[in-house]
Amino acid sequence: MSARAPQGNNIVTQSLAQIGNCGLFLLTLLAAIPRSFRYIRETIRQLWFVGAMSLTIIMVCGLFVGMVLMLQLYSVLSTFGGTSASGMVVAVAVYRELGPVVTALLFAGRAGTSITAEIGLMRATDQIDAMEMMAVDPIAYVATPRFLAGLIAMPLLCIMFCAMAVFGGHLVGVTWLGIDNGTFWSNMTAVVEVHTDIVNGVLLKSLAFGAVVSLIAVYQGFTTPPTSEGVAYATTRTVVASSIAILALDFVLTAFLM
Amino acid sequence: MTEPVPATPDDSTLVCIRGLTTVLNGKTIFDALDMDIPRGKVTAIMGPSGTGKTTLLKHITGQMRPDAGEVRVDGRNVPGLSREALYKMREGIGYLFQNSALLTDFDVFENVAFPLRQHTALPEVLIRNLVLLKLQAVGLRGAARLMPNELSGGMARRVALARAIVFDPQLILYDEPFVGLDPVALNQVLKLIRTLNQTLGITSVLVAHEIEAVRQVADHVFLIANGKVVAQGDPKTIAQDGSPWTRQFFGGEADGPVPFQYPADDYAQALGFAGAAK
Repeated sequence: MSARAPQGNNIVTQSLAQIGNCGLFLLTLLAAIPRSFRYIRETIRQLWFVGAMSLTIIMVCGLFVGMVLMLQLYSVLSTFGGTSASGMVVAVAVYRELGPVVTALLFAGRAGTSITAEIGLMRATDQIDAMEMMAVDPIAYVATPRFLAGLIAMPLLCIMFCAMAVFGGHLVGVTWLGIDNGTFWSNMTAVVEVHTDIVNGVLLKSLAFGAVVSLIAVYQGFTTPPTSEGVAYATTRTVVASSIAILALDFVLTAFLM
Repeated sequence: MTEPVPATPDDSTLVCIRGLTTVLNGKTIFDALDMDIPRGKVTAIMGPSGTGKTTLLKHITGQMRPDAGEVRVDGRNVPGLSREALYKMREGIGYLFQNSALLTDFDVFENVAFPLRQHTALPEVLIRNLVLLKLQAVGLRGAARLMPNELSGGMARRVALARAIVFDPQLILYDEPFVGLDPVALNQVLKLIRTLNQTLGITSVLVAHEIEAVRQVADHVFLIANGKVVAQGDPKTIAQDGSPWTRQFFGGEADGPVPFQYPADDYAQALGFAGAAK
């Protein structure tokens, strides 16, 4: 499967054509999901590559985001004696915005680029054509398992990111700066709501971001010109397009979910 | 000379192409091309670079659809097949890619086993025996656990050939099988093409530029240029055909019907001497 190349010189026309082609590609992917069930082992293998292999960077970044957030909040809130609320603010900020958004940005840089580069190189070395010739549908065997793996991995990674961020906040706030442990947790549990913050914030947003990043990564891989330069550009486009899409979608989702 | 092509093929024809017309990016690649590829023979398709030899193979496998015309493989009109029917047909076709196209995640054994695993539910022991049988046929049973990046060009080509014949296809398409091979590897591939054709009765179509290799292995040669078959016949005698195309191609002449210069604007004008000529 190769999407039609966008025509025209106008950058707006080209962008719209790209979005349109990407939408058609999504329909192709969704239609191939039933066929991809026979390649369940490939989906699990991809889940390992895009999920488990991204765990280290997600956890380390989550830890530092929580730590730096707590430091900044403590510095601001201490001016009017509100440091006891800092744990609560860390949790709300991480669950509602930073967790899903930063996880998605990291996921695009770590897993999205590797998906695009891998598929692009498979195209450049005729491996996709070889599958077609062996009567193996490359959309069902290559694209859909990677898309599903990204979709499943993102919420799980986001949960890990949020947990590590709260742990980092606790480490700095309670262990280092001396906020009371009971106050830290009780304020947090009093304010954080399962539906608003966990379901809408962590799960729904990360699921949407996982779908968008995986779709862009797979689409760019499948439509890249089969040259080394083409693969390099496609990899860059995955990061750029994913980052813009994540931030734009975050605004839209937040506006609707608030 | 180009012989007239009968309107309907007989049973001895496996691939029948009639009126094939393809235009890519405004350039006519095929202009009502007719061709009959005989069953059980080795047929070579030759021609200058860029004449659409690989594109022709893609039409035979249904990877590309023509703008007009018919491509029939064993009686089935390829452009009219549904996706399922096309995939079913491809199970009976082996395709050797120019760069081998081995799956880089898998070792040699798994590459050859890949089509079997995808299309059959054979027990593991049977898959193992079939794969080893095919690897033995191409002389690489001992390399079963090597990864593709550990293979030389000739070895990779032979592994790809083992993969292409794992289903005992009725038709194998070879896209530039001799490119980049040293004389030893080239002779090994030549021998394999001939042996597979003779022992399994496989119809072979190969796209190649190597005139001497084609003389050794092919039963029939098509020379295509300008979107048509410009000559065809026995590989040992086609060079004496007498047409300017065969004279240039088989004689290796730098200029002729295929011009040395790519079409361009007036040379003097491009150099800014247009006024001086007056």
